[in-house]
Amino acid sequence: MDATAAVACEGVTREYGGGRAGPLGRGPSRPTVTALADVSFAAARGEVVGVAGPSGSGKSTLLHLLAALDTPTAGRVVLDGTETTALSSRERARLRLDAVGVVFQRFHLLSALSARANVAVPLVERGVPRPERRERAESLLADLGLGDRTAHVPGTLSGGERQRVAIARALVTDPAVVVADEPTGELDTATGERVLDLLAETAADRAVVLASHDEQALARTDRVVRLRDGRRVSDGTVDDDG
Amino acid sequence: MTGRRLRAAAGLAAAQLRHERTRTLLSVGGVALAVLAATLLAATGIGVVETGQQKFAAADRDLWLTGGPVEFAPGSVGGVDSSVRGAHALSTNLSAREDVRTAAPLLFQSVYVRANGTDYRTVAAFGVPSAAGVRVTEGREFEGDPHYAGGTYDGPMTHEVLVDGRTATLLNVSVGDRIRVGGTIAAARDNEFVVVGVSPTGGRFLGAPTVTVPLSELQEITGTTASDPATLVTVTTTEDADAASVERGLERDYPAYDVRTNAEQLRATAERQAVVLAGGASLVVLAVAAGAALSLNALLSMVAQGAEAYAALKTLGTSSRTLALVALVQTLVVALLGGAVGIALALPAAAALNRAVAAVVGFSGVVQFGPRVVAVGAAVALGTGLLSGLVAATSLVRLEPLSVLGD
Repeated sequence: MDATAAVACEGVTREYGGGRAGPLGRGPSRPTVTALADVSFAAARGEVVGVAGPSGSGKSTLLHLLAALDTPTAGRVVLDGTETTALSSRERARLRLDAVGVVFQRFHLLSALSARANVAVPLVERGVPRPERRERAESLLADLGLGDRTAHVPGTLSGGERQRVAIARALVTDPAVVVADEPTGELDTATGERVLDLLAETAADRAVVLASHDEQALARTDRVVRLRDGRRVSDGTVDDDG
Repeated sequence: MTGRRLRAAAGLAAAQLRHERTRTLLSVGGVALAVLAATLLAATGIGVVETGQQKFAAADRDLWLTGGPVEFAPGSVGGVDSSVRGAHALSTNLSAREDVRTAAPLLFQSVYVRANGTDYRTVAAFGVPSAAGVRVTEGREFEGDPHYAGGTYDGPMTHEVLVDGRTATLLNVSVGDRIRVGGTIAAARDNEFVVVGVSPTGGRFLGAPTVTVPLSELQEITGTTASDPATLVTVTTTEDADAASVERGLERDYPAYDVRTNAEQLRATAERQAVVLAGGASLVVLAVAAGAALSLNALLSMVAQGAEAYAALKTLGTSSRTLALVALVQTLVVALLGGAVGIALALPAAAALNRAVAAVVGFSGVVQFGPRVVAVGAAVALGTGLLSGLVAATSLVRLEPLSVLGD
């Protein structure tokens, strides 16, 4: 495993199900589903890595493991120098707070809060004083072209603006890794390209792992890991694949 | 750090409550409903007990002697089957005891009354051997009970009556007017009484429009002189006597009768209203449960609607504790607002209830609103808020981001 990578995994397998159904575990055997099988992966700081594959190929499962949202059935995941496999749920939450930013396809912003407050929420957990939270959130939003929209609630923002707020929220803790799952899935082409540009810009001092179906989005990454039926089938640039 | 987290959670909770106005109002309404119901019942309960205690204290009686429960007897003259027989002789015997200062038989009946220009009406009648202990607010007391005359009922009838305010209004009479009173309409035609005064005592005792007449005259006009009945006999002990020991002595000497102290009589009266009290308590339990369910439902739907955003915060490392804090702050704010609204509404509601009770049964100040009632309301609000908050917080703690986000 690459010890210098911002995030890496080695021979990870993730299985779901198994055991027996029923409240006392005496029901029929449940089938085991292998979502990911013996996959290794690494992303270094300054690198934008795409994860591609059809639905059910294991893209989201890999992202969840890399972001310490889940633990593998077998194999190892190292996030910002910390192996996640043996961590408790609370320890993984703390690691995520310090080391990971997540961007979702459907933004998932708190509708009651302004753009500024949404961006600042992760800093609350870190105990950052309010004036500093406010300053960092406003600065990030201004960097992402939303300096005049900081007081707006998500309901009054366009899809692209909401995704930019979500990116700002992912970056506000200055994480080592940003994980983005279909970040342009809900956006039109032009807005999607703008969001991808922003994600690429954020990769200067961190790793960005981006899962997508969209080949145009994947073309803007440094390299693409392709998955099929839970297995890695290739790792290279889009041009290599072509 | 904790203070900062608390302030941030409070800010987030306040923003959500403002954003979800309809749900917030429903939740506040639910808590207010529960608080209103609980405070009104508590105010009524306290009021009934305290009013009862005050009335018993004001009656200046120490012991109450009855022959068993008072039975209503529809179709019989007087309408009430009194349990004490030979009441005058019994009270004479009781009064002869060294530890008893006075013993007074009291008779409750229903009678027909009529004034000039009105139809016959049915009201309660309160028969007393003397006007001692009967408060007169207008006019004068009646002059004793000479009709009994040592057991012959041959003495002159005074034909004097006291009416309470509601009877005066019902018959449109005042002091000096004449009314007809009898256990039957025929008896009432033959017995004309002079209204010598207005007294609230009988009405407050019986909770109905009441006329107060000398005991033996009430027995005469209801045709019950043969059995010399009374509903109960009140006993006042001598100053140096202990009421409890007198009670034990009377129970030993008069085993056919129930002897009760003021507190026991109040408790027995309350026990006879057990169905009404249970009904009232059930309504309050239902109101509290409905209020809690309403606020819980509204708060949980608020949490459910924000589930994806909360899950996203969890993926970004926000701890379950912070999210639980947000839910608890939200529910406590709702509980405080609901409690304040409920208690604020309970004040005019208690006043309105008091007016209604005074108009219907003649008791004033039955619903007593005080610090203890406010404490009950606050406890219900806090309980409802904490219950809702704990359920909402638990649902947030258990929230699995991956299953909610499903990306």
